[in-house]
Amino acid sequence: MSGSLTDLFSVVALMGVFVLIALGLHFTFGMLNLVNLVHGEFLLIGAYTAYSIERATGNVVLGMALAPVVAGAVALPMERGLLRFLYERPLDSLLATFGLAVIIRQTVQLAYSAVPRSVSDPLRGSFQVLGVNVPRWRLVIVVAVLLLILGMWLLLNRTPFGLRARATVRNPTLAATMGIDIGWMRAWMFVMGSAIAGLAGSLLAPINTLDPQFGLLFLVNSFLVVILGGQGSLAGLVVAGMVLGGSLSLLQFVIPTVFAQIVVLVIAVLGVRVRPLLVARRAA
Amino acid sequence: MSAVLSIEGLVSGYGRSRVLHGVDLEVRAGEVVCVMGRNGVGKTTLLRTVMGILPATAGRIDWDGRDIGGWKPYRIHRAGLAWVPQDEAVYPGLTVAEHLTLAGGDGRALGRAFDLFPALEERIEQAAHTLSGGERKMLSIAQALVSEPRMLLLDEPTEGVAPSVVQMLIPALARVAHSCSLLLVEQNVDTALALGGRAYVLEKGAVIEEGDIRVLHDEGILHQRLGL
Repeated sequence: MSGSLTDLFSVVALMGVFVLIALGLHFTFGMLNLVNLVHGEFLLIGAYTAYSIERATGNVVLGMALAPVVAGAVALPMERGLLRFLYERPLDSLLATFGLAVIIRQTVQLAYSAVPRSVSDPLRGSFQVLGVNVPRWRLVIVVAVLLLILGMWLLLNRTPFGLRARATVRNPTLAATMGIDIGWMRAWMFVMGSAIAGLAGSLLAPINTLDPQFGLLFLVNSFLVVILGGQGSLAGLVVAGMVLGGSLSLLQFVIPTVFAQIVVLVIAVLGVRVRPLLVARRAA
Repeated sequence: MSAVLSIEGLVSGYGRSRVLHGVDLEVRAGEVVCVMGRNGVGKTTLLRTVMGILPATAGRIDWDGRDIGGWKPYRIHRAGLAWVPQDEAVYPGLTVAEHLTLAGGDGRALGRAFDLFPALEERIEQAAHTLSGGERKMLSIAQALVSEPRMLLLDEPTEGVAPSVVQMLIPALARVAHSCSLLLVEQNVDTALALGGRAYVLEKGAVIEEGDIRVLHDEGILHQRLGL
């Protein structure tokens, strides 16, 4: 019994991780439609920020708090200087963000070398829940994901910023002629998505080995989640993250991780094919 | 009275394709000006260029004594010009209330908009995609008005709208004309005559006639130029 509850929690935890890595991409790819291959590097920046601050001050929580700030501060000049010209140019944005990702990875490698690093777990140990050992930090991640989803939903649906953001995404020309500075709206959305990715990276750092390839670990899965969930749909993203994270976690019990990842990819492809049919049926 | 909007030698188009070939036009404060012409002569292009959606490749657009050529649309809107496009003028997923909030309407402006279009107040929490075509048109005009513009640019406001709604829209626009200037593009001569004012007739991207709309109508010029 306790064994299956432990397994259940590890499934839930991986669902949370899948949602977490894709939340930032909801803004940049899901809403802005920017093919954002630099997303993984914002997770990397967040993780290395937590690492660096911990090394300097001994306080890893401070590092986690600063991670989104640093990621956002890197994102703003990137968007203003280059990406703002590429929103309606998917191939160019793909190439540009790929190049930026390489630059960031190489810069991190120059600064920190390729030697694997680790970030302390701020809450070592585990809770006992119904006789099951639940690692404290993984529980924190699940709670953080829930809070982030709630925060993002409130931001997008209950604030003037969210209303302007939705208007900008759905019809930028109309939004601009209603007095909205769509250039800066897009910039703040990109910064927000990158900051959330930075926070995600810092939260994931204690449970992963840190090296300059850290962001690449999550990039493909985060795109799969957003594509399967439907671009621009926060609810869809959450469901897709749970489906893909849950599938990977369950499959890992029976087949090697590499094959499990391949099956998850197939599930995502099938899901993308089937989803329009389900939407059409619901609309009818 | 001096012109509040003055356009001189305006050249504009889409990419390398020129649509406007040196348009001269002016609108005075409180005036109703109708731009008329057959399909494809550049009427919509003119409004889109004034709003900064399309770049002017030559010429000058002065608003209130300032050259606004090259300004971004949000800045032109904030300077007092509001645009009601012909199509895609509302967000299907947003409610009536969200549209009016987005447009920056305060309580007083909302009151005036609902006074003009009471049907919108009854549907305040409805999403735009659930409204009729006429109600969507009212919403697009209302959202332009709640920002209290000094000039309203209307692109064929009665096109594709049921005759019963047109009968309601025309007096509403006439009331709007008491508080701001109107620059409207219209093919429907009856609508244009009902609103009065001056008219410019465009042909092949240039002004070929200008004058009081009733005079142009009575002298048969509108019918001749518009091929009616």
